[in-house]
Amino acid sequence: MHVPDGFVSPQLALPAFAACAPLWAWGARRHLGRDAAESLPVVGTLTALAFVIQTIMIPVPGGTSTHLVGIMLLALLYHPLLAFVAESLVLAVQALFFGAGGVTVLGINALAMGLLGPLAGWLAWRALRRLSEPLALFAAGWASTQVATLAVAGALALQHRLDPGYLPTPPEVLVTAMMIPSLAVAGVVEGLYTVFAMSLLRKARLRGVEG
Amino acid sequence: MASRADPRAGRRLLAAWLVGVFALSALRDPGALAAAALAALLLFRAGAARNLARTARAVLPVTAGLALASLAYLRLAGGAWPPAAPYLALGLRAAVIAFATLSVLDRVDLLRALAPHPTLTRLLVVTLAQIHALRLLATESRDGLRSRLPRRPGALDLLRNAGGLTAALFALAARNARDVSDAMRARGF
Repeated sequence: MHVPDGFVSPQLALPAFAACAPLWAWGARRHLGRDAAESLPVVGTLTALAFVIQTIMIPVPGGTSTHLVGIMLLALLYHPLLAFVAESLVLAVQALFFGAGGVTVLGINALAMGLLGPLAGWLAWRALRRLSEPLALFAAGWASTQVATLAVAGALALQHRLDPGYLPTPPEVLVTAMMIPSLAVAGVVEGLYTVFAMSLLRKARLRGVEG
Repeated sequence: MASRADPRAGRRLLAAWLVGVFALSALRDPGALAAAALAALLLFRAGAARNLARTARAVLPVTAGLALASLAYLRLAGGAWPPAAPYLALGLRAAVIAFATLSVLDRVDLLRALAPHPTLTRLLVVTLAQIHALRLLATESRDGLRSRLPRRPGALDLLRNAGGLTAALFALAARNARDVSDAMRARGF
């Protein structure tokens, strides 16, 4: 789902870093400041948790597979901004220690997968939770995947609009290639996972869902 | 070239790499990108074969897939083949950045290089240690599911198992966070 290095020019990548900077500064001040002994281990373990959840592959029809994201769960259990900090760290660890993802596109990916997606899912959950909790959880997982994918596709389409010679793939192809698997498979998988995981977490009474 | 044991050289290489990948991401001319690829190959000769193979695995499926889909779409919609140079430049750019990144990460001990930033280093150490611990539990859970089922686990089996595994991971993560927090306080943080 994420943008790889080389697909987006600094013209777009640098403003995305600028947009992330205040949120990262907020996260650093809140979690790595004076009370670091309390909150640093929590941020570290939640980042590790999100990282490990993202390594879980689910086979889908057609012989391919999709992976879980799990950031929606952190947004529901803790707060969308903590989920953003954790996802940013996951992306940084993937890029710096495992050679996956990309460092020049870290800002764009963090905004799409760590902020916009979970925020949309969190809003969907808040809007639907009085109607039916499982439906609200499924909608949260599904919506977070769709919005994150659409944001990534939108960033790539914008790059094509800015300079078609840099990214020659037309927006129609980009949006189709990204949204069809997301709508048909990845969103459904993430929605079902959010329902299963949250019901088991509630049974285990590990942490209540905050309003 | 930086040695993994020399944190200062590691920091210099990291800074050069960061500037370099942003500069590479601004290039769009296939000739300039080919020259950059050659320079990267000469600069990072040691371990180049392994990193080229890793680069191909990471970059080829995405760039080739998108290029083929775009070319087919533009051929059908416009009736003519579009110029290949921008697609070549896109593939080269993604490949050179990935190769340079993998080569630099091979040569730098990141935790030593980041030593002047102790809080960031602590956060990375905690995160990497927890990734290791939680991954063991995830692997055991996957193996357990395989051994319990008389057939190959399907998508729904894996999803249900992932739900249960997440509850176990949260419990372990919460306990580990408490342990690390206690250990940090005991050391005066």
